[in-house]
Amino acid sequence: MQSLINIENLTVELQAKIILSNVDLSLEKGEILGLVGPSGCGKTTLLNTLAGFIAQNAGIIEIKPTNKAPIEISINNMLPAEQRNIGMIFQDYALFPHLTVNENICFGLSALAKTEQQNRCAELLTLLELSEFSQRFPHQLSGGQQQRVAIARALAPQPSLLLLDEPFSNIDARLRNELMIEIRQLLKRLGMTAIFVTHNKDEVFTFADKIAVMHQGQVLQVGSPASVCQQPNSWQVADFLQLGSWLPASLINNNNKLSVRTLIGELDEQSIKYQVLADLAKQESNNQLLIKPNNIERCQLKEYNVVIEHISVTEQGFHYLLRSIEQNSELSFSQLSYYSQELHTLGDALSVRLKADSFHLYAVENNHL
Amino acid sequence: MIIGNTSTSWKFFSWFFALALISPIVVMLVGSLNNAGDLFSHLWATVLPEYIQNTLVLGVLVALLSFCFGVPAAVLISQTNIVMAKQLRWLLMLPLAMPAYLVAYLYTDLFDYAGPVQRLLRAWFNWQSPNDYYFFDIRTLGGAAIVISLVMFPYVYMLTRTAFEQQDRNLLRASRLLGCSERQSFYKIALPLARPAIAISLTLVIMETLADFATVQYFAVNTLTTAIYDTWLGYGDFGAANALASVLMLFILFVVVAEQRARAGQRHQSSRPNANQERKKLSLTQQIFGSIFCWFLVLAGFLLPLTLLIIMAIDYADYPQLIALIATGKNSLEIAIYSATIATLIALTLALFHRLHQSRSRMIPLQISGFGYAIPGTVLAMAMLATFGPLDHAINDVAKGVGFQAPGLILSGTVFAIIFAFVVRFSAIANGTINAGISQIPKSLDLAPGSLGVKTLPAIFRVHLPLLKSSILVAWLLVFVEAMKELPAVLLLRPFNFETLSTQIYQLISDERLEQGALGAILIVLFGLLPIIFLNRQKDS
Repeated sequence: MQSLINIENLTVELQAKIILSNVDLSLEKGEILGLVGPSGCGKTTLLNTLAGFIAQNAGIIEIKPTNKAPIEISINNMLPAEQRNIGMIFQDYALFPHLTVNENICFGLSALAKTEQQNRCAELLTLLELSEFSQRFPHQLSGGQQQRVAIARALAPQPSLLLLDEPFSNIDARLRNELMIEIRQLLKRLGMTAIFVTHNKDEVFTFADKIAVMHQGQVLQVGSPASVCQQPNSWQVADFLQLGSWLPASLINNNNKLSVRTLIGELDEQSIKYQVLADLAKQESNNQLLIKPNNIERCQLKEYNVVIEHISVTEQGFHYLLRSIEQNSELSFSQLSYYSQELHTLGDALSVRLKADSFHLYAVENNHL
Repeated sequence: MIIGNTSTSWKFFSWFFALALISPIVVMLVGSLNNAGDLFSHLWATVLPEYIQNTLVLGVLVALLSFCFGVPAAVLISQTNIVMAKQLRWLLMLPLAMPAYLVAYLYTDLFDYAGPVQRLLRAWFNWQSPNDYYFFDIRTLGGAAIVISLVMFPYVYMLTRTAFEQQDRNLLRASRLLGCSERQSFYKIALPLARPAIAISLTLVIMETLADFATVQYFAVNTLTTAIYDTWLGYGDFGAANALASVLMLFILFVVVAEQRARAGQRHQSSRPNANQERKKLSLTQQIFGSIFCWFLVLAGFLLPLTLLIIMAIDYADYPQLIALIATGKNSLEIAIYSATIATLIALTLALFHRLHQSRSRMIPLQISGFGYAIPGTVLAMAMLATFGPLDHAINDVAKGVGFQAPGLILSGTVFAIIFAFVVRFSAIANGTINAGISQIPKSLDLAPGSLGVKTLPAIFRVHLPLLKSSILVAWLLVFVEAMKELPAVLLLRPFNFETLSTQIYQLISDERLEQGALGAILIVLFGLLPIIFLNRQKDS
């Protein structure tokens, strides 16, 4: 399939600080991309740059709609926001408070004849189940209804690309999932290409076809949610997506045979992802193993190796945070996750070990975990 | 939190203050219905229609000019990268400190036939007489409108600028993404959203214009305020003056109701403040014209009149003038300090009652007490006389009746009436400021002291008052300055041989001798600057 949007080497500098650095992304028509990353990583800046609210310092944004002429935005050809044919749904919806629902939706249709405006508006009102609210003002609607109006308004001018800035953050947690599924279905039905920003990993897994994880102005990894979860290419990706907990590990090179030692067991070379190990060859300390909940099991050892520090109840059983009994080693840990159906009490000492599996080992920058 | 044991007394005082503040107006309105006097009928048949017309035309012209000065200035400062925006931001507020009648006198002096501007023009172009050239006459209705607008436009500027600055940036962004250019977004979104603020500010301007007495009097433009003054002090007909004051009152009421009705459909307008607005980059030509416009307003509304006053003070100041200034200044200070303190204390009582009491009617005392701001000083003075005059007579009769010496006019013939009038007129300012301060205090802080075993009154002293310290100071300062400047009410209510700075300056202006009161005039302007500087510093910090 042909890409609808291509972003190449996009760089944005604001107040002498690089906010986006050589961002490359592409998106096919009808795809939904979720931009995730910690606060201040540049997600919203990227969205604002695409929309035309922030000028890029370098790089090219290419948009190739199917039924319109392609546009290329570069520092030599900065198109104003109103000429990009991009729609946006803001975090606060930005509904015009002095206009009714109907007037809000028709706002971007002033180039069309009145009857055509009303027809398109009626169509969207029906599609988003807003017909009975058409003469109301935004403040007379619930949060969910306001969001529907924002969607209808953004879709009315038939944009090539829809940007959504944390669209679900103002929605009640109980309704959020339902609404996400509904809006995703709507966008899919309309074949709308969309980029949405969130800092909530659950939202991105529900809503997006593809995710891009950002960190300090760079895109670290792009791919389907499943592939990114299975193969996080850096500790930042794994950490942001909370794919497991971190276990300090040391890398041992014994006659060219690599192994990894932790306070709850050793792993041989086969258990570790090689790609990651290769990066570690130069650095033999400050390594962390990514431990998924099912990677730990109880065992019968002569000595206990962990103590329960915290207990919480989950749908599947109990979630324990474990602290190593050994506290003076560089491999000591204090917040290792362990899930079990068994009920223990706070302060219980246990023996645990790593199950045979394949693990990811990362070199983590100092003091970042 | 409810005002527990203190509830009844608090409620009593709140209602007592509110009703006391409104009662003179009621007395005046009722009195004017029963006793308009023959002179009123005569005025109605002769000059009154013209006075009403002048009043209306003046109000409309000042509103129009203030809009033309204030709104573009607000746009330039809040939405563009105009050069020296930081300085112009507060400089544009300074004209508020300049009483219109001072500007009227100074500009008449400057632009009159015998003034330096026309003299210079005649010398340059060798014109011999007024027939050789056209020069506008400042002592006209139009001239009065320009002068009043030059000192009133900051109301429009301040409120509109704040409205623009508090608009949600995303609304303009949404509009751009929906195909509107920057200019279209401004006209379709930013301006309509600022409309309520513009409407409020224009109402304030119209109210102040209708209340103006000295400027129109000096320009010999007959309006309702001058008619009230002349009817009472010139013809001595209290009933007719009272009736005229009631007519003016109705006009003001009409303006206030019209403004509220116009905004009724827009109550839904709310926006999320966003200080980090994207500012429009002005072209060089736009920068030049924009700067000239803003600096013209600062110059014409403040810097030029102040410079003229300073020159006068340097040229004419002498020791006797200084002695007179100290005496009148002391009177002004006394009245202003009493008025500000009483108005602030009443505002605190009413605002805390409104906040902490649970009765449904808790809003009413606060609303009633703020009504006085809409009433011109001239009208208020008539209301005071209508109320306290008969009261004084009653007190004297009672005193004589029980064998004491008659105390005289202890209410209407002393500074009591002036202070009462000021408290009525400026309570709305104190109420507004303290109420805004209270609304910033989280409601949970009303409840927390109770949960810690602290009773209502100690809680107010330990929690609310410390948090309201700055609002109380601002409220006091605003009332103090307004009281220092207020003229018409003092003119009508002052005891014999009692002068304040404003009445002395008015007298000197009437005698075309402002030079001798320049120092006092500068003092009034400097006092007027206090709240502007204070508020500006507070905002910066």
